This record gives sequence, structure tokens and C-alpha cells, in this order.
Amino acid sequence: MRAYFRNIYAAVSTILIGMRITFKEMFHPSVTNQYPYQYYFEKRKNVRGIHKGFRGQLYIRMEDCIGCKKCAMICPVDCIYIETSRLEKGITLSDTRAVVRLKDQTVWIGELLEGDEKIEPGTVVKLRDLDGNLHESPSEHVEHVVTSKKRRLKLDRFDIDMSLCMFCGLCTEVCSTSCLYMTQTHEFSTYDRASLLFHFADPSIYEGLTPDETETKAEDGADASEGRKQKAARRRQREETA
Amino acid sequence: MELLSSLIFMLVIAAALLGFVMLLALILVLAERKVSAYMQDRVGPRRVGPFGSLQTIADAIKLLLKEDIISLQADRKLFILAPYLVFVSSFAVFAAIPFGRNLIASDINIGILYIMAISSVVVLGIIMAGWASNSKWALLGAMRSAAQMVSYEIPLALSILSVIMLVGSLRMQDIVGAQSGGLFSAQNRWILLDNPFTFLAFFIYFISALSEVNRTPFDLPEAESELVAGFHTEYSGMRFALFFLAEYANMFAVSAIAVTLFLGGWSGILPGYTFLNGVPGFVIKVSVLVFVIMWLRWTLPRLRVDQLMSVCWKYLIPIAFFNLIGVGVWILIFD
Repeated sequence: MRAYFRNIYAAVSTILIGMRITFKEMFHPSVTNQYPYQYYFEKRKNVRGIHKGFRGQLYIRMEDCIGCKKCAMICPVDCIYIETSRLEKGITLSDTRAVVRLKDQTVWIGELLEGDEKIEPGTVVKLRDLDGNLHESPSEHVEHVVTSKKRRLKLDRFDIDMSLCMFCGLCTEVCSTSCLYMTQTHEFSTYDRASLLFHFADPSIYEGLTPDETETKAEDGADASEGRKQKAARRRQREETA
Repeated sequence: MELLSSLIFMLVIAAALLGFVMLLALILVLAERKVSAYMQDRVGPRRVGPFGSLQTIADAIKLLLKEDIISLQADRKLFILAPYLVFVSSFAVFAAIPFGRNLIASDINIGILYIMAISSVVVLGIIMAGWASNSKWALLGAMRSAAQMVSYEIPLALSILSVIMLVGSLRMQDIVGAQSGGLFSAQNRWILLDNPFTFLAFFIYFISALSEVNRTPFDLPEAESELVAGFHTEYSGMRFALFFLAEYANMFAVSAIAVTLFLGGWSGILPGYTFLNGVPGFVIKVSVLVFVIMWLRWTLPRLRVDQLMSVCWKYLIPIAFFNLIGVGVWILIFD
């Protein structure tokens, strides 16, 4: 008999405990993110944004590509298509820019002042970036350094088929100049499979170059094609006045 | 001529009630989704209309446009008849529910008995649906439902009986009239607070009623995780919607009966607050009970079949009998 009433008491009291919890929960703010409308989660402590090492959509800085095709070769699914041709005789392009990547995934791009690809312990890596800011870091914090390289090939085609890409990141690891990298972009779905073939080759980089212009090594660090265009424009002006 | 005019009058009232039930289902479905969402820290529907208010209408339109599938193996006549039977019997209950002083479709002198009788027909409809579907899920759900609803009708009737003993009438308006004093007055207060036995009777009624309308924790007839959808597994489109409509209509009806029997019906909550008299007070009380039903659904897990039976036969029925005797003794001694 006692067990009978104890059973009733247990049932009623535990139901009340459960009901108290659900009632309290009604007044908690919801944890829902209204995804496409509410994208970044600054106000939420429990939801983190995208991590720094996230492997998203591929992107390449064409003005730093030397056309070595290492990425196309290592790609397990062959989704990178590169066609190169030789530069006409006498034409030189600007050197590629140096890249320093730190272990916390910070990337600096610009002119390397101190340090080398072989990272000696105890030394300092120094780099002036495109805006002229000076960065330096002890070599223990540096993941890798890519020094500036000469560009001898013209890229006629650099296509990446993101519909095939498996986001392994091998191409970015082998890239000689660290100009191929994975962005954090991950929302690039389209209605059409063909539009996932991204064309990166930029013929404008090679525009306005004439064979006699041997001195156009961009010392300025800034966007190479931009600098060259300005120089070409200045030259044309000079010829007109003469 | 007399007959024709009264027939038209009845049809108009029936149409008005039907419209009310439809509107009710639209509101309650949305309310349930919102309540469940808030209890689970979600936001619930909010895309269709302001704050998702048109979500149920969109769902209803979707159900209307869906293909009406009748399985070849099904018993066609019964299959078609079952949802109407379920809906009509839960709809007919509304005829005897007093919404206000004069707002009752038919104040018959056996009101509560009529409600008990007509709501039992739901079981028939459910068994019919389960049998006619010719599907094991549906049949199992229907059998469970029959066992459950027949069992729980006993404590339900016993708890209602204690109210009837106290009031001395089966007429719904008389029952409301016996509680016209409100919550705390010495005379004619709510039957819930009339004596300890009626207080207990309210909870017995509420638990049995939950089971009668197949709501969690007694939703075994449609236990999703075991029986797909129970008795309405094979139904699609508008036929399914009728079952759905009946469920929400039932939920309201059961709460309305509880309010009428125990919580003073449409008569006011506190003397002096006249704006709570009549329909507003009734709606508030019913909404609170409906909320409790939803609250229970999103809190408690489903009972097992044997647990279900033991709750009814070992606990509710003995307590209800004891309670009935208690009410009788109380009336003898104090009234």
C-alpha cells in the first residue's frame, strides 16, 4: 500500500519537475540562426564563425602565378586546367611577391626584407606589405616563407572546376609562390553546373607590354599590371609631346 | 413551414460552429507549433505571414491540393467513411458546449451525457480507419486506440459523475449556474474548489481526457516512432486533414468541458471583474487548459502500452471510485 502511494507521488512530482523545466525553457532566447539572413554570429557565444584554416573556394592571385603547373599535377581529381605560352623575346614580367605565413594562419604578402625559405631558428622574418606596412615575426612563429620568383611564362588559361574539387588543399601546399589559396567562401552554389568552372586567367596582365620595355620590373610592389599600365600611359604621352 | 425554418436555423448554427472549429484548428495548430518551438529554444514558423500567422492556412491549402490516395487493398467504403465519422463526432460535441449565457447551440437537459455519448463514437471511426486501411500499422494503432479510449472512458465518466452529483443536473447551463460565484466566494464557487474530492476529480478528468483525445503522453494510437502514424497512416490529403482537424477540435472540446464542469464555465473568474464574464473569461480559461495540454505534450515521453493500462486500471479507476464515494459522503454531511 505504501509503495502504491509512493509511486503516485513519484509520478506526480517528477512530472512537475519536467514541466517546470520546459516552462523555464520557454523564456530562454532561441538558439536558432536564421541562416541566410542572419549570417555572422557575433552576439552568440555558443556559435563560432568560420575557422582560419577553413578550406573553402579556391582563389589565385594571377599576378603571382609562375605557371609551374604543380597544382594541376598534384590535383587528385584533375580539376585545374592550365595552358601557358612563352613570353615574347625581351619581355620580362615583374617578380612574384614574397609570402610569409605564420602558424596562426596570418598571411603577409609583399617584399621580403629579412629571412629565407629555410627558416633558421632564432632569426627574424621581416616583410613590407603592399600598403608599405612593416611586419616582423620571430622565426618560431613562422610556418613558411616563399621568396619572390621570376615569371617566365604567360598564362593563357587558368581554370578551376569547383564542381570537381574535393577541397583537399594539396594544390595550395605545392604552389611555388603561395598564390593559390583557399578562401573562406563556401556558399557558391549555382543553378548551373557550368558556372562552377571559374576562369582566372587575366589577359590584361600582359596588355601593353612591348618587347623593348625590358626595364619594366615592377619595383613598386603594388599591383604589377596597374603599375605597368601607368608607365605605358606615361610613355605614350611622352611620344605624343615629342 | 415551421419545420423548414427550424431546419434552416439549425443549418446556420451548424455552419457557424463549423467555421469556428476550422478557425480554431488554424489557431491551435500554429499555437502548438509556436509553443513547442519556444520550449525547445527554436523560433517556430515565421516565414508565412507576420510571425508565421498564415502558416496553417498554407499547410491546409497544401493538403487540399494533395493527391487523394485510396489503397487498392483498402475497404473503400469504410476507408472513405472513417474520417467523416471521426470529425463529425468530435464536431458534434460543440453543440452542447456553453460559450456564454445564451451562446449554446442546444442546451439539452442531458448535455453532459450527450457529450460523453457522442465523443465515444470517435473510437468507432478510428477502428474503422485502422481496419479499412488494411495496413498493419493502422490496424495496430486502431486496436491500441480502442483499448485506450474504452478504458479511459471509465475514470472520465466517474469524475464527471461527481460533478453531476454535486450539481444535480446534466444540463450544461445548470452546471455553469452552480458555479456562478467565481473563484473564492463561500457559495457557488468553482466546483474545482468546492471540496477536496472534486479537486481530485478535476485531475482525474484531465488525465483521462488527455487519453481520450490521444495526446501525449497517451498518444499510443499514433506513436510515430513505432507505428509510422497509427490509424491514419494510409490517409493522405484532405482525409488526413480531417483527422488532424478532429484532433485539435477535440483538444479544445475537452478543455472547454473541463472549464464548464470544474472551472466555472463562462461565468466570471472573480466577482467584480465583469469584463471577464461571458465569452472572454471562457476563452481565457480554455486557452490556459489548452496550453497545459500542449505543455504536457512537449514535456512528457509516451507511455508504454502496459503502463498505459496500469495507469488506468490500477490507479485512475480505483481513485475515481473512492473519489465518487467521497463526494457522496461530503454532500451527505455538509450540504
